[in-house]
Amino acid sequence: MQIYGVLLPEKNRLKEWFSSFRQGKAGIFVYLAILGLILGGAGIASIFILGHGHTTNTSSLVPWGLQISTYVYFALVSGGCIFTNFIGNMFFHEKYQPLASRVIFMGLITAIAGFAALASELGHVERMYLFMVSPNPSSPMFWMSVWYTADITILLIEYINIQRHHHSKGMLYASFIIPVITYCSLGSLFGAVGTVPYYYSSLLPIYFIFSGFLSGNALCAIIAAWQIRSTGNSRLLKPFQRMQRIALASVLVLTFCRLIIGVSSGISGYEVFRETLLKNLLLGIGVSLVIPFLILMYKRSVGGLVISSLIVLAAQFMARLDLVVEGFRVPTFRVYDMPERISYMPSIFEILVVIASLSIVALVYLIAEKTGLFEIATKESR
Amino acid sequence: MSQIEEKDILEIMGEDLQRALKKPRNQRRWAMAIDLKRCIGCHACTTGCMSENLTPPQIHYRPVKEEEIGEFPNTGMRFLPRPCMQCDSPSCVQVCPVTATWKRDDGLVTIDYKKCIGCRYCLVACPYGARSSDVGHYYTGDMHKETYEVENSGEYGKTFRRKSHWHSPVGNARKCHFCIHRVEKGELTRCTTTCLGHATYFGDINDPQALITKLISKTNVIKYKEELGTKPQVYYIV
Repeated sequence: MQIYGVLLPEKNRLKEWFSSFRQGKAGIFVYLAILGLILGGAGIASIFILGHGHTTNTSSLVPWGLQISTYVYFALVSGGCIFTNFIGNMFFHEKYQPLASRVIFMGLITAIAGFAALASELGHVERMYLFMVSPNPSSPMFWMSVWYTADITILLIEYINIQRHHHSKGMLYASFIIPVITYCSLGSLFGAVGTVPYYYSSLLPIYFIFSGFLSGNALCAIIAAWQIRSTGNSRLLKPFQRMQRIALASVLVLTFCRLIIGVSSGISGYEVFRETLLKNLLLGIGVSLVIPFLILMYKRSVGGLVISSLIVLAAQFMARLDLVVEGFRVPTFRVYDMPERISYMPSIFEILVVIASLSIVALVYLIAEKTGLFEIATKESR
Repeated sequence: MSQIEEKDILEIMGEDLQRALKKPRNQRRWAMAIDLKRCIGCHACTTGCMSENLTPPQIHYRPVKEEEIGEFPNTGMRFLPRPCMQCDSPSCVQVCPVTATWKRDDGLVTIDYKKCIGCRYCLVACPYGARSSDVGHYYTGDMHKETYEVENSGEYGKTFRRKSHWHSPVGNARKCHFCIHRVEKGELTRCTTTCLGHATYFGDINDPQALITKLISKTNVIKYKEELGTKPQVYYIV
């Protein structure tokens, strides 16, 4: 199979890009992404060299922190890109088509960036081969790993297909159904934990799918806005505005349902919902969902779409951190000098992991865009 | 109870243990009973456990929860020691993605330190908070480490070097294992032997003659969070 000009950009375009990069003409965002990657890489290396105890603020009381929430965030963004690709293909076929390869490519790199954050959290990442050698089929985490691998594989195949103009409905459906199962199993990884009432919910897998759709679509909307600005193809605007509104409304309903169940329940551990109610209403619903929705309603321009999407992306990142960490707010067995409520603040090394993941996505996408990788898919189909 | 009788309890449990060890492993069923009326909250079990298993800071296999009860002037203290419950339906075993933790046929929930990937899912899933993550802390900080801090761990009857990356509990989940390395040598668990109030009983509940079997057959016995369906094997005498 041809690698250059299909999977990767054409060789001469890559060479051109490297020479402009050496001359300092690759664009400020590329250099920022490289700086982020160096800093983030140094952070991840420090975690492995110095050990988690000296670099991260997770503990036995807060076993999962920013790294896991970053993983969940990027995994859901990836799932959201696929959701967007499916709905785009189904309902806005011609308008959406020029963006298909970009969206699937983004789905792939966000899945990989999420995995980088996850790997930095594990105490023994070198033992991950045991998922294959010594699997436990009763573990939701095992199934998540199986479906995550299947997800990345199917995305890769779909990406190659798009690049080679081998479009098939079967593949489109497969590249939708498998990610849906993947992100459902990620939701059940949390939702099945009966010991953490903040997670425990049959609603969580569905919530994960829709909040993934929201964040993935927001990222794709920014790419679409960039394309509108650079190509003048304003037909891309409406599909993304519409999808963003549907996603915002869906997540709003599900967030309300989750909050209502949590607040009205008297079971021990559910008090987290009551204690964080004001924050959830103001930030989790008001700023994260209602304001972006209103912006989309009243500012129907490319700028409105970008502002709304940026708010969604930032708010959803905070929502993932909140979801992961607040689960540990009430200690399971409070003893000795343990506080009544556990608080968590990420360390600088954990923040560097986030920077690394963001930089991977930004850098790979920028290189692909600037070297004309996505033109391969659109050129011949015109 | 007189001091002689107290001594007898340990001797009786010692004899029960010897009898259990003569049986094949799959015919034993290790369990623990804690008499809450006899617990004086001295934390000798906690410190004994820490020195036995060389646990690093923030890792307690057997903490004792203290609670004030009642209102002045009718107040008192209540203590709840919490070892690993060695559940018959353990949620930690169910969620471990790589089968690094499993239920042995003698009832013990064990961890393979060479297999654990350090994902901490078991910590999240345990309803008793009985599992801890060893992130590599030392009591004396980073500059100077005392000998006891870097000594080999003898948990599960194996040798784990603390300063080794490959064969160390660092990076793994850790928990109480009923001092199985002592039990299999014919010694009672450390918390049982150090308990000042002689509130802790240990033995094989498959043995009808064992002291623990007789104790847990009474009506004043409860299990912690039994309603979760985890079938804990630590019995509290109230």
